[in-house]
Amino acid sequence: MSASIIRQWLPRDRRRILYAFLAAIILFAIGEAVRPGFASLDGIRAILVVASFVGLVAAGQTFVILIGGIDLSVPWVLNAASILMVTSSLGQDARAIPALALTLGVGALIGAVNGAGIALLGIPAVVMTLAMNGIMQGLTLGLSGGMTCTSCGAYAPPVIQAAVHQGLLGVPFVLWIWIVVLIAVSFLLAMTRFGRATYTVGNNARASHLAGINVSGITILLYALSGFFSAMAGIMLVGFGGQAALGMGDPYLFQSIAAVVIGGVYILGGRGNYLGSVAGAISLTVLVSVLLAFNMPDYGRSIVYGVVILALLLLYGREEDSA
Amino acid sequence: MSSSHSPPETVLAASGPRRSRFSHFLVQNVGLALVVALLIACIILYCVLYLVTQHRLPGGFELTSTLNNTMPLAFAGIAQSLVVLTRGIDLSVGGVIDLTNAMAALTLNGGPVQTTLWTAAILGVGVLCGLLNGVLVAVGRLQPILVTLATLSIFQGIAIKVLPQPGGAVPAGFTNVLANPNWPVSLLYIPLIGLIWAVFRRTRLGVSVFAIGNDAMAASSHGISVKRTVILAYMLGGFASACGGLILAATSTAGDATTGNTYTLTSIVAAVLGGVSLFGGRGSGLGAVFGAFVTTMVVNILFFAHIDPLYQTFYEGLFLLAAVVAANVIGQIVRRRR
Amino acid sequence: MSIAAIEAVDVGKAYGGVAALTKASFTAEAGEVHALVGENGAGKSTLIKILGGRVRPDQGEVRIGGRPVSLSGPEAAHKLGAWTVFQELTLLPWMTVAENLLLRREPRGGFGLIDRAATAREADALLARYGVMHVDPRALVEDISLAERQVVEIVRAISHDPQILFLDEPTSSLVEREVEWLFGQIRALRQTGTCIVFTSHRWGEIRSIADRITICRGGTDVGTFTDIDEDEAVRLMTGRRVEALYPPLVPLPAAAPAVLEAADLAGPNVKRISFELHAGEVLGLGGLAGHGHREVFRLLFGDAHANSGEIRVGGKSRHFRSPRAAIAAGIALVPEDRKTEGLLLQMSVRDNATLAILKRLTHFGVLDRTAERQAAQSVVDSLRVRTAGIGLAVGALSGGNQQKVLLGRWLLAECQILLLYDVTRGVDVATKHEIYELVSRLASEGHAILFYSSDAEELAHLCHRVLVMREGVVAAELSAPGITAEDIVSAAVRDHLAA
Repeated sequence: MSASIIRQWLPRDRRRILYAFLAAIILFAIGEAVRPGFASLDGIRAILVVASFVGLVAAGQTFVILIGGIDLSVPWVLNAASILMVTSSLGQDARAIPALALTLGVGALIGAVNGAGIALLGIPAVVMTLAMNGIMQGLTLGLSGGMTCTSCGAYAPPVIQAAVHQGLLGVPFVLWIWIVVLIAVSFLLAMTRFGRATYTVGNNARASHLAGINVSGITILLYALSGFFSAMAGIMLVGFGGQAALGMGDPYLFQSIAAVVIGGVYILGGRGNYLGSVAGAISLTVLVSVLLAFNMPDYGRSIVYGVVILALLLLYGREEDSA
Repeated sequence: MSSSHSPPETVLAASGPRRSRFSHFLVQNVGLALVVALLIACIILYCVLYLVTQHRLPGGFELTSTLNNTMPLAFAGIAQSLVVLTRGIDLSVGGVIDLTNAMAALTLNGGPVQTTLWTAAILGVGVLCGLLNGVLVAVGRLQPILVTLATLSIFQGIAIKVLPQPGGAVPAGFTNVLANPNWPVSLLYIPLIGLIWAVFRRTRLGVSVFAIGNDAMAASSHGISVKRTVILAYMLGGFASACGGLILAATSTAGDATTGNTYTLTSIVAAVLGGVSLFGGRGSGLGAVFGAFVTTMVVNILFFAHIDPLYQTFYEGLFLLAAVVAANVIGQIVRRRR
Repeated sequence: MSIAAIEAVDVGKAYGGVAALTKASFTAEAGEVHALVGENGAGKSTLIKILGGRVRPDQGEVRIGGRPVSLSGPEAAHKLGAWTVFQELTLLPWMTVAENLLLRREPRGGFGLIDRAATAREADALLARYGVMHVDPRALVEDISLAERQVVEIVRAISHDPQILFLDEPTSSLVEREVEWLFGQIRALRQTGTCIVFTSHRWGEIRSIADRITICRGGTDVGTFTDIDEDEAVRLMTGRRVEALYPPLVPLPAAAPAVLEAADLAGPNVKRISFELHAGEVLGLGGLAGHGHREVFRLLFGDAHANSGEIRVGGKSRHFRSPRAAIAAGIALVPEDRKTEGLLLQMSVRDNATLAILKRLTHFGVLDRTAERQAAQSVVDSLRVRTAGIGLAVGALSGGNQQKVLLGRWLLAECQILLLYDVTRGVDVATKHEIYELVSRLASEGHAILFYSSDAEELAHLCHRVLVMREGVVAAELSAPGITAEDIVSAAVRDHLAA
């Protein structure tokens, strides 16, 4: 009964965002039941901070998935950004801003190169971003001497670390940043010409091209945004951990894709929004934490993670038919 | 209304000479031809570099170790090709290799009979993994990238459960058969794979796989069961991945449930280099095998050219891009010359 | 009374609430050639799809040999001996002609495996048996021309020795010789007792080959005839007399400037074309599908690269790198396939209507939602688009209303030069008339319109001049008054070899 009321009030895309948030709430409840204190303010805050890293990467991934693409270069753009951040700031606040600008700029630039290869050279997104991932890995390892360079062990500037660990009104700055990102990205997608063009390209790139939309330009910008957000996540992560490490970007590739899809963004493009990816990022992070709270061993977590994603996909899929 | 007599039968005559059979063969197999040419170029370059640095040509040891090290990727490439031909993608290849590798390390330590039985069982596990993927894609109507993303997680999890710590080992006999360290026995796999692929293409299933990759709707209007074909393609892919896992076990000194992870993305590279189109319907599993060897050759070339190994993936990435762009351009030129 | 080979009895089919067929009945006998005629959107394609098993009817039933059948798909129809050559060809592009022809019945060799060499040889023999010598069975379907593909698809269907053969617009891209060939095959099939049903726009063809004609209008059948006068048929098809179908042609003002010119323009599939398009003029492009029209439009719109020649807008030589540049120069294109090239089916009427004027609706990067809503509503109002609201997904609208939204998009963009490619395809009769009125009105208001249509009657009645294209060049130029569809068709199909 209530299901059909929900169906009437909310179109399919918004329903999925609701499901994703509901899943997070239910999982929080389960976690609290298993380990009291799980859903305490501290507990929720900690989980949200971890979710924010996935969430930031998912912002970039949302943009490219909306036009039917994908960004497989996330792991090493993120990693490169984190190393670039520490080596150019050398743990000094005075250098933080230039280092920040440089790192985010480089991230955007790499993303733009991805977009150019895809839009202008006709290289499939999977191949282009996969190759870029390798290129960034090689460049990062090579230039840093495998993290043996003198400045590689530097810490992130205290202000960056503070952004992650300290907060305002009990909310860590990184979460405030995430909220700002959420508002900005949602605004961009829903209210601007660029956002509208993104959806039209995702729906039908050919028709958009014939209507005068600059499909190549949009593609390049979207991948640049993806690189930008991967870099931002790398900066936040190095603020969280203090130092950069090799391989820190690896988990975020598949997690970001899963978060976006669970949030109702259609993998072939044209439908969905960032709020869904945020919901997806939070649910996935809570899921992993709950499984940890259950003291579930490594393998169990892996299996449950996969099963939950399949279950949600099947649920969305069945809705697709009835919609 | 219609005429009472039938006019002489009209014949639509040919307007010019036909292209030669070789020309047709080339057009239909551009991808395969390119990767073979690329592999030959890489082998020559490798030999030259080897000669310059080691003052002799590469010998049996180099051949054998290259073969043995590349074979798991070759099979992963075949697995990926089978799925990509149906217009899908399989991110769980690494997971199946993890799982079968782990199972092999755990179970293959008995006598020949037990080893053979367990090998068959492990191959069966690969098929089951493929079945799961195939059913979810074909019947569940979910996108392949998402299904295999989830099953990757599941298979990896099961692999870790099977072999939580690196350990176990496969018996020497097993290794000697599959990946003999002394003789380039694996060289035999290549013509064998070529033969099997040629057979596959000449079966009803093989034609169906290509057909649905071209145009699933058109294929189904000719009586091809899209669901059945997709499921079988994924099952065969799972089988190929399991072969890769077994060979990986044969070439490793100890079992490890996580070494298969890298094969997911590298299998895509191998398939793409081998001329398999990500849009489906075109390409050869044999091409993926050659693509796997090209990637190994590139690593070897980088090594003997004294390129800092830390930069290895940088050059690999650039190479992949260059190869794809070049293949695009060449493919267009070949087909434009009508 | 003989049992009919195939019948549709009171068949109904609706797409998204819009009825394509309503209580349509149809009977065809063995050993006859039966033509199904009607306007676009009258339902004949849907009827063929139902009879051929591609689509399931919502109401009514199909009977083959007198027995009701429920066709689960084309394959089920094949098993009952009914084969269809659909308008959308079902050839597999990256496989060879031979592989396509012999799909699922390839000759087997050792070990029960497909013998590829024998497949090519058998395909050769198959094509030769039907007198087709100009297609190389070893060629990829992707690499052969549209006409060759149509011939291959026809051979494939015929080679299964069908008892019932459906041909949906089989001659749309065939030249005279190929049409002769097809009719020879049809006659031979008729001799052996096959029932042949085909749809066509061309009266010359229908008269020369059909034993009976069934006329469709508005989703139902309005009569079956063995002999009918063309004007009478048109009246039955459209519900009006021919004269009332089209608005009167407004004569061109005397010294109308040439707003768009092509000078020796050449590009993909276009060998050479030159023309002048004047303000207030409707210039028609006619000819068979695949002879360069689509490419001319694309060249003029910056969607294809010209090899040589010049495009002049308002006297100034222009080179358009992309559609954006052409739009900025005042050129609009309504493309061939509105579903894949024109509309964003999952997005709303509003989003579709305003797609070309987003810049105008933007202030500092932000879209002015109110202005957007007003613009979209103005399109819906002025073109009388039947929709439940501008927020409805455009994919839910009928073909005619979809086309109106697409046209509306370009009216909002206020382009002086309109390139209209087959705008009435798949559009119901009523909307077609509205589109004709719109074209006439736009021309009289000073717009310059380049009009391609696969329907020669439209060209004959709507255009001031018609350029008939063949093989990438202009084969004939016809001027109003006095253009007839016959002239256009004969100029289009005339062989090189004929005088």
